[in-house]
Amino acid sequence: MSDLAFVALSAVLLAAATAVVTAKSLFRATFALSGVLVATAGFYLLLTAPLLAAVQVLLYTGGVLTLVVFALVVAGSNTEDARWRKPVPAALMSLAVFAALAVSARKLPETPPLRGLQSGKDVGRLLFSDYLVPFELLSVLLLGAVFGALLIARKDRSV
Amino acid sequence: MTLGNLLVVAAGVFAIGLFGVLARRHAIGVLLSIELMFNAVNLAIVAIAWSKGLIVGVVLVMFGIAITVAEIAVGLALVLLASRVAKSVVLDDLSELKG
Amino acid sequence: MIDAVLVLAGPLAAFALLGIVPPLRRSGKPAAAVAITGIGVSLVAAVALLTRIHAAGAPSIAEIVWAPMTTGPSITLGLLADGLSASMAVLVAFIALLVQVYSLSYMKDEPKPSFGRYYTYHSLFAFAMLGLVLAHNLLQTYIFWELVGLGSYLLIGFWFEKPEASRAALKAFWTTRLGDVGFAIGIVILWSSAGTFTFTELFAKVDGGALAGTALVLGVAGIYLGAMGKSAQFPFHIWLPDAMEGPTPVSALIHAATMVAAGVYLMVRIAPLLAHTPQVATVVFAIGVLTAFLAASMALVENDIKRILAFSTVSQLGFMMAACGAGAPSAAYFHLVTHAFFKALLFLVAGSLIHAVHTNDIFKMGRLTRIMPVTCACFAAGALALSGVFPTAGFFSKDEMLAGVLAAGHPVGFAILLVTAGITAFYTGRAFFVATMGSTDSPGHPHEAPLPMKLPLVVLAVLAVVAGVGGRLIPGLFATSIAPLAEAHGHAPFFVPALATVSALAGLVLAYVGYERRGFDPAAVRRSFGPLVTVLERRWYVDDVFEGVYRFVYLKVSNAIGWFDRFIVDGVVNAVTWGTWLGAGRLRTLQSGRVQDALYATAFGLVLIVWLAWGW
Repeated sequence: MSDLAFVALSAVLLAAATAVVTAKSLFRATFALSGVLVATAGFYLLLTAPLLAAVQVLLYTGGVLTLVVFALVVAGSNTEDARWRKPVPAALMSLAVFAALAVSARKLPETPPLRGLQSGKDVGRLLFSDYLVPFELLSVLLLGAVFGALLIARKDRSV
Repeated sequence: MTLGNLLVVAAGVFAIGLFGVLARRHAIGVLLSIELMFNAVNLAIVAIAWSKGLIVGVVLVMFGIAITVAEIAVGLALVLLASRVAKSVVLDDLSELKG
Repeated sequence: MIDAVLVLAGPLAAFALLGIVPPLRRSGKPAAAVAITGIGVSLVAAVALLTRIHAAGAPSIAEIVWAPMTTGPSITLGLLADGLSASMAVLVAFIALLVQVYSLSYMKDEPKPSFGRYYTYHSLFAFAMLGLVLAHNLLQTYIFWELVGLGSYLLIGFWFEKPEASRAALKAFWTTRLGDVGFAIGIVILWSSAGTFTFTELFAKVDGGALAGTALVLGVAGIYLGAMGKSAQFPFHIWLPDAMEGPTPVSALIHAATMVAAGVYLMVRIAPLLAHTPQVATVVFAIGVLTAFLAASMALVENDIKRILAFSTVSQLGFMMAACGAGAPSAAYFHLVTHAFFKALLFLVAGSLIHAVHTNDIFKMGRLTRIMPVTCACFAAGALALSGVFPTAGFFSKDEMLAGVLAAGHPVGFAILLVTAGITAFYTGRAFFVATMGSTDSPGHPHEAPLPMKLPLVVLAVLAVVAGVGGRLIPGLFATSIAPLAEAHGHAPFFVPALATVSALAGLVLAYVGYERRGFDPAAVRRSFGPLVTVLERRWYVDDVFEGVYRFVYLKVSNAIGWFDRFIVDGVVNAVTWGTWLGAGRLRTLQSGRVQDALYATAFGLVLIVWLAWGW
């Protein structure tokens, strides 16, 4: 059962990913990306990490994609020009990277998966104990990002 | 569904994203491709965590997602600025550092 | 050895003072006073040195280490005072003093800065020549040899605004330089075989047999090359006639008495080495005889009095070298000394004549015996000495040389030299009779020479006549030489002096009859020998050969090398440059300024890392 789901999800994921890089219209690409994100969330569910799946959908699909759509509207999506520059070298390089990674992946020793992950409670506990400092720093980072984005993108640059 | 297969799928998505980064002309297209690569990496980390039963992997990925969000925000702001200043978001035109 | 040091210090101090203190140099008479004082000190010290050596009966050597060496003998500098070098020092200082005094009058029309410059060069030259004479090793000799060459260049080209003078100075310098290359090579060969430069050690080694064979022959040959250049042996004689562009007192000093004699002095000095290399000695002899004859022939057709004297000098040098080569160095040295007296005298006489009539051409001079009696009398004395008429000094020294040559077993050479002596007498007589008693009236208002010019003339004339007394005084000085050379061959056969006298008188009488009594018409004779005369006037085409070699060999080779340098050497460099530009241009396109192109490198790095970490 899980194998079937795995194969199906893999297919969807890869198809959507291909759509992201090949779509002529960037709006199409953005929606394809949302497909990728949802498929990935599905993988997280399969890998017994439901909290993560939820976070993925909320933040990525709900937040990031919305931002991208707004940016596309403002900046223009340029559908007249060619999609790609130098596709052949890029394809070759991607192939090389894939080959390198895949072959190394195959070499890993196969250990049967353990109990699995599941516990959202554990994640919360870790965040507020061992990883408290990074957690707080993250909030600073987000603050900085917000300010940075505002500063960079504001219209009035006389100050 | 073995670890190896999962990693191969992640590698595939990573490679596809790399292709997009190298080949796409529109700046936002490149950003989308970068998102693909990020996702692939996250998938790989979770897969490894799952195979070893380490919940810490999930924590790491969560941090990663948050950082990615920040990064995309700033990146889009830059794209907007570029579209205003250089009047183009095609990366080919943004080549001031030409040698 | 304080006296030897003073001999050198006098002119050196004068040169230093005049060289470093421009106001003194430009002051005219005081500059001359400094120079003359310097050379005067030198003369006094040299006479003292000679008396001391003669009284002691043995040579005196002083040396200091100059370049200490750990493997092999050190290089030393030293002063060698023996009969040969002390007497030569006296000669050089004496003639130099006379010439400098003479120049007070002769050069008085020079502007003051030039006048001072003239005396500065004289002091330099005197110092260099004396250093050469007193050197105790070959290396030191070479150093001063080159310095003498420099002095000669500066003095010949004194009136450097005249292009002929500059060219003559350069010609002298280059021709002697050519010989000097051989000299240097010879010194090195001797050193590498014997391990020393010092004369005494070299002579000891050659006597003991340690220094022999090819090294010795090549070494001596090299040294002879240097002597060839300085002493104007064929074919390196070409610079001497042209050197007459310099002031006449300069010609008297360096082209009669001192610098050109340096070559002969050197050959006399290394006579012990020459004695062990008969091959080289034969060459020296042959070239000496050839030079003597050819130069005398060229003097026959000259009208310029200084050029006649120049060729005469070359010819006499040939005599001296022939004597050296024949194994009679003391005869050669004897003649060197007497020749210094009468040749310097003749040049100074010529200067007096030129000063009075403002021309060098003997055929433009005439009827001067009443107007310039002292000069003409001195001219006569010099002419007699040069011709070798008894009892002048020239007779005794020439006689010794001829005897030496015959005794060494060279009858053909002896005959040629005898004929040359006759030719010498003839052209000398010609010059004398035409210039002093010719029928032309001399241009301008000639007058007798002033005192500073007359005095040296008289002194030298007296010496030219009496210095040969007994014929033994000067060769006797050799007894205190570091290489005493006994005249091995016995007394000369009685007929040698007789033949010499006959030859000399024949020449003089012929000249008298031809030029004074009009017994035959020399001009007609000259015309009838047309082609031969042309050859003589063109100086046996030696100059042309040199020029041809220069133009067609040396210049062509230089041009070829220049082409090679421009096109091949530079071509390689330019090709590298072009290649670099090309490569750089291509490489620059990598920096397109587009970030995606840089990412290729990153991706490649990733592949590389994965591959290195896990392998395929």
